[in-house]
Amino acid sequence: MTATPTEQPEILPLPTASAEHRVTGRDEPRADSVAKVTGKASYTTDVRRPGMLHAKVLRSPHAHARVLRVDAARARALPGVRAVLTPGDVAGLRPHGAMVKDQPVLTDTVRHVGDPVAAVAAVDERTAIAALDLIEVEYQVLTAVTGIDDALDPASPELFPEAPAGAVPSYGDGASGVLRPGHNQSYEFRYTTGSPSAWADCDHVFEDTFWFSRMNHHHLEPFIAVAEATDDGIELWTANQAPFQLRKELSWVYDLPENSIRIHSAFVGGGFGAKHNPKADPIAISLSRLAGGKPVRYAMTTEEVFLTLSQHAARLVFTTGVTADGTFVARRARVHLDAGAYSELSPLVCEKAGYRTPGAYRWRFIDSAASAVLTNTVPAGAFRGFGGTQVTWASERQVDLIAQRLGLDPYELRMKNFKELGEPYVPGESGIDSDLREGLRLVADAIGYRTRERTPNRGMGVAVGLKDGGGVNKPAQARVKVTAKGDVFVSSAMIEMGQGGQSAMGQIVAEVLGCPRERVVYAPIDTHNTPYDQGTNASSGITVHGSAVKRAAEKVRRDVLDWAAGQLGRDPGELTLRDWTVRTADGQRHPLPPLIAGVFGNLGYEFSADGFAKARNSHRAPLEAPCVFWETGWAAAEVAVDPDTGQVTVLQLVVSGDAGKVINRLAARGQDEGAAVFGLGQALFEELRYDGTTPVNAEALAYRVPLAEDLPLRFSSITQEQGHGAGPFGAKGLGEGTMLPVAPAIAQAIADATGAQLTRLPMTPERVYRAVQAARDHR
Amino acid sequence: MSDGRTEVTISYTLNGSAVTDTAPASRTLLEQLREQHDCQGVNASCERAVCGACTVLVDDVPVAACATFLYDVDGARVETVEGLAADDGTLAPQQRAFVECGGFQCGYCTSGMLMLATGLLRAQPRPARAEIRAWVSSNTCRCTGYEMILESIERAAVLAAEAGEPR
Repeated sequence: MTATPTEQPEILPLPTASAEHRVTGRDEPRADSVAKVTGKASYTTDVRRPGMLHAKVLRSPHAHARVLRVDAARARALPGVRAVLTPGDVAGLRPHGAMVKDQPVLTDTVRHVGDPVAAVAAVDERTAIAALDLIEVEYQVLTAVTGIDDALDPASPELFPEAPAGAVPSYGDGASGVLRPGHNQSYEFRYTTGSPSAWADCDHVFEDTFWFSRMNHHHLEPFIAVAEATDDGIELWTANQAPFQLRKELSWVYDLPENSIRIHSAFVGGGFGAKHNPKADPIAISLSRLAGGKPVRYAMTTEEVFLTLSQHAARLVFTTGVTADGTFVARRARVHLDAGAYSELSPLVCEKAGYRTPGAYRWRFIDSAASAVLTNTVPAGAFRGFGGTQVTWASERQVDLIAQRLGLDPYELRMKNFKELGEPYVPGESGIDSDLREGLRLVADAIGYRTRERTPNRGMGVAVGLKDGGGVNKPAQARVKVTAKGDVFVSSAMIEMGQGGQSAMGQIVAEVLGCPRERVVYAPIDTHNTPYDQGTNASSGITVHGSAVKRAAEKVRRDVLDWAAGQLGRDPGELTLRDWTVRTADGQRHPLPPLIAGVFGNLGYEFSADGFAKARNSHRAPLEAPCVFWETGWAAAEVAVDPDTGQVTVLQLVVSGDAGKVINRLAARGQDEGAAVFGLGQALFEELRYDGTTPVNAEALAYRVPLAEDLPLRFSSITQEQGHGAGPFGAKGLGEGTMLPVAPAIAQAIADATGAQLTRLPMTPERVYRAVQAARDHR
Repeated sequence: MSDGRTEVTISYTLNGSAVTDTAPASRTLLEQLREQHDCQGVNASCERAVCGACTVLVDDVPVAACATFLYDVDGARVETVEGLAADDGTLAPQQRAFVECGGFQCGYCTSGMLMLATGLLRAQPRPARAEIRAWVSSNTCRCTGYEMILESIERAAVLAAEAGEPR
């Protein structure tokens, strides 16, 4: 069959970064360094309010049950108990959820082991725990839904017989969403582009099924909130990545005006996507209301965190058509995400899982659907990679299976099918802003992939993960202020949870204003005073947030120079600003403090300006706005496999991300390496295990996360600066990309070593052993 | 109901200063340090001695403060991250190393890692990479992927030697 000649892809123009900068791009120590190495850094766990009470929560031991009776009389009578909450006390509150609002504050129908049933606030945690023991609950156990297949089976119970409130967002070309597409499914996202006639041009069509496991975020700081709340308003200190989003949700749940809800954000001890939406907050808020507005602190234990949120496990069926020479033509993807008991952020993860199925490659036809399947297990939500991790596993694994079946080299097959630099991801989208081939060559050469010798039971593998970055249609605002002395504030809702975002914002401002980074202070974040933002997520900090910050700084600089020009009788165009001194084209220097004092008097003054950033809407773009940037992660791995035990030893792992232009080198490297180790854990051992609907290892001692000893002896990251980022100075985001390709690269290396092709995570010794045996039997 | 209200009086040194506490026998060192001695840098996480976020030194040995009873430090030298920097704020070599090498991100595990590093460098001022890796494997970090922590501790050994001190 002759293939239809491929059209030349349309290449969109990309920005190209200019040369060196003074403050960005260097190994500056981060602004939060001293605080974090002296123990002075403040987290929500450090918040103390006068008269603060402590909360504990009673959680369901059953996966699916009706709560028939809750008798809290003895708990209320215990000395030191100040408030007890039962489902009846919060029945008037609306359920919450990012798109489908199905999660109540306390439930009278428990839907997973750990679902909160009652809560106590007492003078200390000991008393609260003792009070929990005094609460009697009578359950009527119901048949539970144990997994994706069971959930889809029409014979299984429908977890939400009545449709919860929900709304489908508007989408552009080719994209659509449906609420309640079927039995136990809360949302489905679909994307299609091209013509199905493309299938007729395929010489081979392969269908494969892949399974992706479920992990817990395991941020070391738990979900924690301190609330002071009455019927009229809420003041909240909480570890949350998106305080304005939380405010909106709490406004909905409690039916309060948004300007009666004030949220304070401290440093966050790790998020990785978990810290979105109400978590510990409603319990703390409702207990506080019951306790006359006294502050209530609810800090979850690690075990409670395991029972609150997880990553999405998934089943992915990919049908891919190619020509005989390995050119990719058509892909049909059907993704089922295990959303757990409540929808939470699953509909948005469906969007991204469904949208990211093309991966890094060029296609003529895409037909993609991803749905959120409800089961009686812990709710799943935003987790680093956000659907991209799941579909990259399937996509990259299938590329390798195709390579094996056609007798093609998996590296060359990727090189052949990559999208070009500047090529739109799909019609209507922005162009790919990294040279994908350059990145793959880089990591492959770093481990010696292309020149490797064949050694029994040793192999190498390479993989690429591509995800849209910068969020969907996402706005950010920022303010920069400078005092008469030249001391600088940057105020924006960039949550500092380890990525170094606040420090990077300081560097951007310092670069624009021509001052040392040390002169810039990041203002405390609270929703009453801080400019609005939709959350620190989607790797959007540098590009979206950073653009708003840069524009605010540029506006301040313009205002200062315009003002100074007026004072000096000069043209503003002749003036530059450096070290809070105005310099003229002919070499004169005018320090600003005396100039300002001369006009405003000795009481001083502040210059202040705002900045805003958002991609423009476009109906041509499937997600209603072209994506701000593309986050690519490349990985290359070498493994040794013991065929008698299935044990896989990763000898080398090299990962790389393209920062566009680095703002802070240490932070960039840290993000890529941290993400890679998430991928390493998921590849080989880390998993939140369920036996049906019973959590098996949902506690600190039994849940194995990567430790230093799990690192390959040779583990490194390469921070590329290809220079095409849409963010400040040509920067792009990092932080998720390098998680995507790690498991696929290791899987390819295992296949290279033994012929065994793994399709399920984690690739435990048992699974590897069986796959190696099966591969041997096939020879 | 037995509630551990038997009180004990414990004397120890905390970051070099003599301290005497009276507390219920069930009081953990973690709770005492955070609630009574303003050691907010000692962070609570798993509270099961698994993650090491609450690592402090007791007679030079890294221990999980969450799993150490206050009465167990009677007569001991207890050191927390709050005691590392000099009185004038000058950072200790290991703190400077973590700053320089980016050995932290969210910072929640950092106090524990620093105390682990302090204990290691006292026991072995010139540790090999393998030894650093073995010690760091006692503590969980979710952000860094560990490589930059290992580099920070290698750098700490160099800076400590330059400063001519065992701390």
